[in-house]
Amino acid sequence: MSKKSHIATELIAAIACALLFAAATVTCLVTGDLGIGGMVACGAAALATICCFALWRTAQVNEDRAICQFQLLASASLEQLEHDDLQAACPQARELRKWKSPLEQCYRRMKLLADDARQLQQSRVRSEVKAHLTGLRHEQMREIVDKLSEPVMMTNQYDEIIFANEVARELFGILDLAEKTMAADAIASEGIVQLLQETRLRKTPTQRVSEIELLDSADDKHWYRITVSTIAQHLDNEMGADEPNYGAVAVLRDISGYKAIQRRNAEFVSAVSHEMKTPLAGIKAYVELLADGEAEDEQTRDEFLQVINSQADRLQRLIDNLLNLARIEAGVVNVNKKPRSLNELLEEAFRIVHPTAEQKNITLISDLSPMYLGVLVDRDMIMQAAINLLSNALKYTPDNGKVTLRSRLQDREVVFEVEDTGVGLSPEDCDRVFEKFYRVKKDQKMASGTGLGLPLAKHIVEDVHGGELNVTSESGVGSTFRIRLPTVQVAETVN
Amino acid sequence: MNTSPNYLDAFPQAVTELNQTTTSSTAGKRILLVDDEMHILRAAEFKLKRSGYEIECVEDGQQAWEAIQEQMPDLLITDFHMPRLDGLGLCRLVREDEATRQLPIIMLTAKGFEMTSDDNLESLEIAAILAKPFSPRGLVNCVEAVLTTGSFEQPPISYLR
Repeated sequence: MSKKSHIATELIAAIACALLFAAATVTCLVTGDLGIGGMVACGAAALATICCFALWRTAQVNEDRAICQFQLLASASLEQLEHDDLQAACPQARELRKWKSPLEQCYRRMKLLADDARQLQQSRVRSEVKAHLTGLRHEQMREIVDKLSEPVMMTNQYDEIIFANEVARELFGILDLAEKTMAADAIASEGIVQLLQETRLRKTPTQRVSEIELLDSADDKHWYRITVSTIAQHLDNEMGADEPNYGAVAVLRDISGYKAIQRRNAEFVSAVSHEMKTPLAGIKAYVELLADGEAEDEQTRDEFLQVINSQADRLQRLIDNLLNLARIEAGVVNVNKKPRSLNELLEEAFRIVHPTAEQKNITLISDLSPMYLGVLVDRDMIMQAAINLLSNALKYTPDNGKVTLRSRLQDREVVFEVEDTGVGLSPEDCDRVFEKFYRVKKDQKMASGTGLGLPLAKHIVEDVHGGELNVTSESGVGSTFRIRLPTVQVAETVN
Repeated sequence: MNTSPNYLDAFPQAVTELNQTTTSSTAGKRILLVDDEMHILRAAEFKLKRSGYEIECVEDGQQAWEAIQEQMPDLLITDFHMPRLDGLGLCRLVREDEATRQLPIIMLTAKGFEMTSDDNLESLEIAAILAKPFSPRGLVNCVEAVLTTGSFEQPPISYLR
């Protein structure tokens, strides 16, 4: 406003001088007397006019330059404001004395605003990066959870399923997770639905674990350990209050394998304890008879002591076998491989099992190759494998059946096989009989066993001797267990 | 049964001692003893014969069932695990046949905690289950109790001992 008034004053002064000059000129013309006084007056008036005009013009020019500087200032970029000073931003500011102060004020203010803007921009960029990374991480987490082999799912405060990973969807047959899928509708297992609901209703951070049997999509039974935890959901709270809503997260783990091992362990312990109790029963019974003085003469006492001794030996054999298996499996047993005649070993094994065959009235046939079959083996181990196969054949062949022991040279391998006319194995059992502790359920009552004979034989043949042990069988007809071993020449070349 | 071997043949001296048997109210009763382990048969037979019982021994469930058909014993003592026909199968046969339904049975078994509910022992009305290893003295007490009262109070088969 002061700038305007300055300009107006200068303009009014110029106009006044011009009027004065005009009045002087008119006076001179009217009087016709152009004296010195008149001329001086006219000149002074004209000079004053020119001065006033010049001043007005100067002010105007300054004003234009100031506007120009303001415009420069206004168009300055953030970088210029950050790095330049006032002189650089407005080069003419110093020359515009009257405008210098307002320009400086403006410049400082703009610099402050520019700093704020820059900080805001930086934090916006940071936020955007963070949001992007969070989004990526969220996607990754979702992908990871989705690809987990354990079923995972989550319900909200209304018991609606809001997340279920791939395996969970497959397990519960959820084709598409719609907006509002009630857990009770989607999950067939009432136990799980109840567990989810009960956990959620506790409304405190808590965890519950349960074991549950479920059918998978192929209708096979699986045992699952299910862990359900409460999860606070602040975002879903429609009331906008701080108090969180509670949903539940369920994680299932397939423990069928663990259960099977547990069951087989129990069966193994049961089988071993049965095998141990039988000789122990003899020992205890005869000891009691002796202690009670039931055997009244020396000869009877000797007879009883012999039984005790033989049963103690039997118990020791059993324990030795168990320890041997454990040792061989742990790899701490010394393997003593030497070139041997396979037929000699088989003949010895044949002699050992012969009495058992006679007891069951089973025809035991030895069909050994007339050739010398040289193998590089640990005698005791291969004998053990052969006896295991033979005694298995005798165990699972009904009375009056037939068991054949064969050997032959085939290509560069030595083959021996034990063929029986026993109960045979189903294709599934053929795959599993070499598993430790596995016993064919339907044949368990035929004979006692630990489910260790075949795994031990396989371990001896394949891992210790680089051979192969397999079985072909037909249920109800019989089985043939076949062992292939490298000949002594081949074995020595390899070694 | 003439085909059944006499396991005391292995103990000639023991047989002579059997003449000096103790007597009890149930002495003279016929007992059929079934076990595939000969030494168990021998011990049980020896003790029971000395207690005055008449004993027949067989080695598996099938032989036992044949022996029962031939001559009904007063008591059956059977093992659980046996070839051909096991103890459970034998008990079922006995309980299913009208003629043998009332035969008291004592089971002598090395099975312990693994005796499961699906063995369905209750329906077989087994008078007593004795766990192996067993005491011959305890067996005689059990036999006497079962023959006089039809049952025998025994401690349950323990889970851990």
